[in-house]
Amino acid sequence: MIIERSSGWKDGLVERLENREAWDSWTLYKMHYEAVKANLITDFYGLQCTKYLPNLTPLKHQLEAAETVIERMNGKAILGDEVGLGKTIEAGLILKEYLIRGLVKKALILAPASLVTQWIEELNQKFYIPAIQYKKNYDLNACDIVVMSLDTAKRSPHMEKIYEQAYDLIIIDEAHKLKNHKTKSYEFVQHLKKKFCLLLTATPVQNDVFELFYLISLLKPGHLGNYEAFQSYFSASKRHVEHDEFLKELVNQVMVRNRRQDTGIEWTNRRVQILPIDFSDKEKAIYDMISDLKNVSPVFSDAFSMITLQREMCSSKEAAFVTLTKMRQKCANEEDLSYIDAIIQQMNELDRNSKAEKAFEIISEVNDKVIIFTEYRATQTYLQWFLQKKGITSVPFNGQFNKSKREWMKQLFKEKAQVLIATESGSEGINLQFCHHVINYDLPWNPMKLEQRIGRVHRLGQEHDVHIYNLAVQHTIEDHILDLLYEKIDVFEKVVGELDDILSQA
Amino acid sequence: MYPQQIHDYLHQFFKENNCPILSRHDHFICVQLTIEMDKRIMNRPFYWKYQESTNEEPRPAQLTLITDKNKLVEDIKGEVVHFGSPRLNQLFQVTKEKGSFVQMYEVDPLDSKAMLAPWLGVNYKVSYSSNQMTEKLYSLGIHLMTGKVIDGFHESIQDIDLSATMQENTFYPPPIIQPIRALDRLDMVIENIIEQDDHTWMEEAKLRRKKERQILEYFYEGMEDRPECYEIEKEAIDQQYETKIKIEVLSGGIFYLKSSR
Repeated sequence: MIIERSSGWKDGLVERLENREAWDSWTLYKMHYEAVKANLITDFYGLQCTKYLPNLTPLKHQLEAAETVIERMNGKAILGDEVGLGKTIEAGLILKEYLIRGLVKKALILAPASLVTQWIEELNQKFYIPAIQYKKNYDLNACDIVVMSLDTAKRSPHMEKIYEQAYDLIIIDEAHKLKNHKTKSYEFVQHLKKKFCLLLTATPVQNDVFELFYLISLLKPGHLGNYEAFQSYFSASKRHVEHDEFLKELVNQVMVRNRRQDTGIEWTNRRVQILPIDFSDKEKAIYDMISDLKNVSPVFSDAFSMITLQREMCSSKEAAFVTLTKMRQKCANEEDLSYIDAIIQQMNELDRNSKAEKAFEIISEVNDKVIIFTEYRATQTYLQWFLQKKGITSVPFNGQFNKSKREWMKQLFKEKAQVLIATESGSEGINLQFCHHVINYDLPWNPMKLEQRIGRVHRLGQEHDVHIYNLAVQHTIEDHILDLLYEKIDVFEKVVGELDDILSQA
Repeated sequence: MYPQQIHDYLHQFFKENNCPILSRHDHFICVQLTIEMDKRIMNRPFYWKYQESTNEEPRPAQLTLITDKNKLVEDIKGEVVHFGSPRLNQLFQVTKEKGSFVQMYEVDPLDSKAMLAPWLGVNYKVSYSSNQMTEKLYSLGIHLMTGKVIDGFHESIQDIDLSATMQENTFYPPPIIQPIRALDRLDMVIENIIEQDDHTWMEEAKLRRKKERQILEYFYEGMEDRPECYEIEKEAIDQQYETKIKIEVLSGGIFYLKSSR
């Protein structure tokens, strides 16, 4: 049994016995003893941190999550609560607890660049944790609790500087960004020494079950076996998960996932519907011409750009036009050029967008604040123009906006405009509880993106039922996207657990 | 610690450190710091450097500390202090630095010709840690004439009347056991206590470590040249479940006490 002892006190006693130092005050001596007793941690179990945070009132599920991670998962876990249940609070509680217990001295928090300041504020103000935002040339030896963006961290020279440090706890926010094991981010995190580690993501499975495998292998390699074993055991087919229960159980050993309905809080309802849209004859004609491109010339045979073009056409001719003109530049022969020009010609004559009309119809009907999510910048601009023409005020929102612009747009939306038109990247880390209508103007491939979008409004503080309108043009690629979305949701529910309604109440 | 306890603590702390209390209400306290205390807790070395070089009249800060924001009715601006707040932790630290060694003499006004026996009292904090941790506080006392050791020493003396100066007409026999020797004895006693303690936690941590290592081995099974990550993970697991026992002496002192205990 090795016992570590500190020798400082003995030296101090000698000094005083030999009259080289004065004795201390009895009152302060007693106060010191009293303070030690108040701060003493007398149990391996239970959360101490709550008594140090009298101004924070964590919710029951947050406290339970923190306790489970520390006591049952030994500080290595995926925090997989549904969007808006306060994963940051859970992570803060865990970090605080470890700091109080002296089990963590140095911690590294990796977050998307847009959320770094939010982390700093929360840790400092809510948890009294002196977290520092990393800046170039900072000496990491001097920063015990540091927050930086994953994109910065994985690059030289920061990466090397991080590897030199011995972090006790690593927190990674929006950890689904690590789903692809071939990326530099993944490799970077894989090489980090993870004594205690928290991965935060509401969407641990986005497309297939292997994403979860890689995420867990980052946290605890071997927990789901190695790749070969996992692959053969859970069948080669990606979207057909057998042994569901067993896998789910393994996953639950390293993942905490609270759902809205288990939180004991009264949640407002989600009313989700799919609104099928019929193209007008003119739109249909253009869509068919686009679909037929691949038969016209081998130049257009690239399946990926064909699908992109079809999806764009389902969104707006403006979105399709951008891609189409790029394609036109690649055309060499006269025939191909004229085919494309014919499409463009028809586009020019097209004066009606059925989907936009539908969106307008919804907006006028609800007569309230609405968020529209689109996949395309061109559509975003078009919709702004279109709505303005109809007398509806709107503001745009992109992920590229810096923090103050985001806040400004949010404020404008709250106070002045009726509609906020956001692109995908706008759906992270912005909270819009004052609004309760969401139009998914375009459908993404990934159901978790829909969940993230809905999570912007359906979160703590929402007082109304939340209405989700998914727009899909019938007899187009969007039918196929819908099918895939259903399949992926099914995989998620099999290995991770139930999901709140995203597409429609099945 | 409840707001009221913290309030009393602050009041006592500043009084003991000769910082005049400018005003004291139920839920806040306003205090004039001494130069020494200002340098210690206000974290403004540049001001003091400036003051020294210009020889300007030193102006130590005044501090308003609010101990119970919820009950505050007065319109007061100040720092909110609660259990866990950085300011209170800092004051705890100062208390530690200024309250770790004492030499005290028991006062008994009724018995003027008493003989008081010397004791060494030492307060130990013992911590056990792996991926979890817990602490225990031991207050041991050793009679410097007989070598008798008792537990719960601090609790037995905290409420009796003690003075920092010797009393007249009282006999203080010199210790037979030198305090430093006595400290070594207590160090052994505390080690013994630890050895007798229940250490299931250690076995559990070792078991967890073993299990985690097996899982890791499984991941790299059949791999000849194992990548760097393997070594990194292994080291992380070892560190995570490494068991540690620490003994820290918090405070202690020489006490001359009347009755046998």
